[in-house]
Amino acid sequence: MKAFVLAEHTDAARGLCAAARTVADDVTLVAIGDVAVPESCADEVAKIALPEGNAVENAAETVCALADEEAPEVVFAEPTRRLKIVAGRLAAHLGASVITDVTALNDGVAESMYFGGLANRKMKAVGKAVYTMTCANYAEAPASGANAVKEVAWVEPANAVKVVSREPIVKSGIDLTKADVVVSAGRGFAEEEQLDIARALCDKLGAGLGCTRPLTEGVDWLPRETYIGVSGLTISPKVYIAAGVSGQMQHMVGCNTAGTIFAINTDKNAPIFKQCDYGIVGDLKTVLPAITEAL
Amino acid sequence: MKIVVAVKVVPDDQDIQVAANRELDYSKAHQIISTYDLNAIEAAAQLAAAHGATVTAVAVGSAAIDDSKLKKNILSRGVDDLVMVADDSCANLDAHATAAALAAKINEIDDVALVLCGDGSADNYAQQVDVQLACALGWPVVNAATNIEATDSTATVKRTLEDEVETVEVSLPAVISVTPDIAIPRIPGMKDILAAGKKPMNMAAAPEVPAETIEVIECLAPEAADRLGNVAEASAEGAIDNFVAALKAAL
Repeated sequence: MKAFVLAEHTDAARGLCAAARTVADDVTLVAIGDVAVPESCADEVAKIALPEGNAVENAAETVCALADEEAPEVVFAEPTRRLKIVAGRLAAHLGASVITDVTALNDGVAESMYFGGLANRKMKAVGKAVYTMTCANYAEAPASGANAVKEVAWVEPANAVKVVSREPIVKSGIDLTKADVVVSAGRGFAEEEQLDIARALCDKLGAGLGCTRPLTEGVDWLPRETYIGVSGLTISPKVYIAAGVSGQMQHMVGCNTAGTIFAINTDKNAPIFKQCDYGIVGDLKTVLPAITEAL
Repeated sequence: MKIVVAVKVVPDDQDIQVAANRELDYSKAHQIISTYDLNAIEAAAQLAAAHGATVTAVAVGSAAIDDSKLKKNILSRGVDDLVMVADDSCANLDAHATAAALAAKINEIDDVALVLCGDGSADNYAQQVDVQLACALGWPVVNAATNIEATDSTATVKRTLEDEVETVEVSLPAVISVTPDIAIPRIPGMKDILAAGKKPMNMAAAPEVPAETIEVIECLAPEAADRLGNVAEASAEGAIDNFVAALKAAL
């Protein structure tokens, strides 16, 4: 069986090639633009050079042409915004739909979240299978192959997207996905200034500060990349301290794999108290400083 | 100039229950506009106001989405008219089939410059209807849009990706999906809701949809993670100390 792998980042390329290797005997890594290709990861590395000014997605037609030539049965794509477009165009070309954000894949049965994690859904592609998934489950799996390089001829896109400019996003503070301890602030914080007591706790613990959706969308108290939950971050720190967080599933999906969950909330009936290891029912204005003080 | 906004109607997730067998029970859940589509509707309304354009909302789904309160809700948000397919042949469509159904209806509307989609639907959150729709229409697509500047023939879109903000230009017509940041949904007033009842609601015939490309085998709530659930009132003797001791032990 032939598999295609689409990735923008080197670690994802390696991990998804390893994932592809578990189902396919013939793996092609499709490298668009200047992706650094990992060593010995695929049988073939199909290089698509991106002409100046072209968005990465403009390579979709070239990928489709390559798929016509090599006829992959299964496609693995890294779940980035750009590759969701490339994978989507390839799926449309193959008469398929992408099964997105796959969390587990066994015998062609892919699992992914439904209603933001309210349920897990098991699905099977009827025809060709196109998946987006992170390489998290395949970090240790071996990728292998001779990496035979093939230069793929550019196919001019019918509906080009022209890049005018690019600006890196300056990420603030600690990378929450790598932090051991994360404090998250929810709607229990009534004013922006109150976040300082959460910051003081973070300083004491060397923790990163995250938040629920309402604190970044609308009020803009914290940067969007610190929002934990559906369509935001999914993290698994050793310790997760939810302060003023009600515990709606849309948020909990992003943190329910944490080692130990601590919660502070004024409402003793808040759903968070059914999903935490240790909880304090009380006003975070007094409880958080007391915790910081006692640490 | 016409702006179309694609709207998904879903059961309100706040009222979905988990049954004893871990299946989802939608019987108490009203039909609502999928959350992030509210931002797409607002973005469409604001763009239309700036360009003297009109907004048509297009929704495709099961017979249950034909709900008068819901239709008024859509039309009370700066939307001029609604085209809705409410037919059980269009229930739970995958991205490929949803796009085909939407494209069939959008192709019947004249002078469409832009189709806006939300960031992802509350149920699937696959972020795939935008690109599949663009393929079905033969148009360019841009996702993750946080700002759109349109002229008669082009759109300049700022898109917020994982590591960078990319500004791109596409020719119109185009499909653009927007992030929730692009516009905060309005809260319709009584006047808007009353006016909505008088706006055109076109209940359209179900188009032919392609066969399903994804077979759903099972959909079950995850088993609850085993948590200690050790909760105390802050005022209780030693509550903070015990909490801090547990916190130190977990570090």
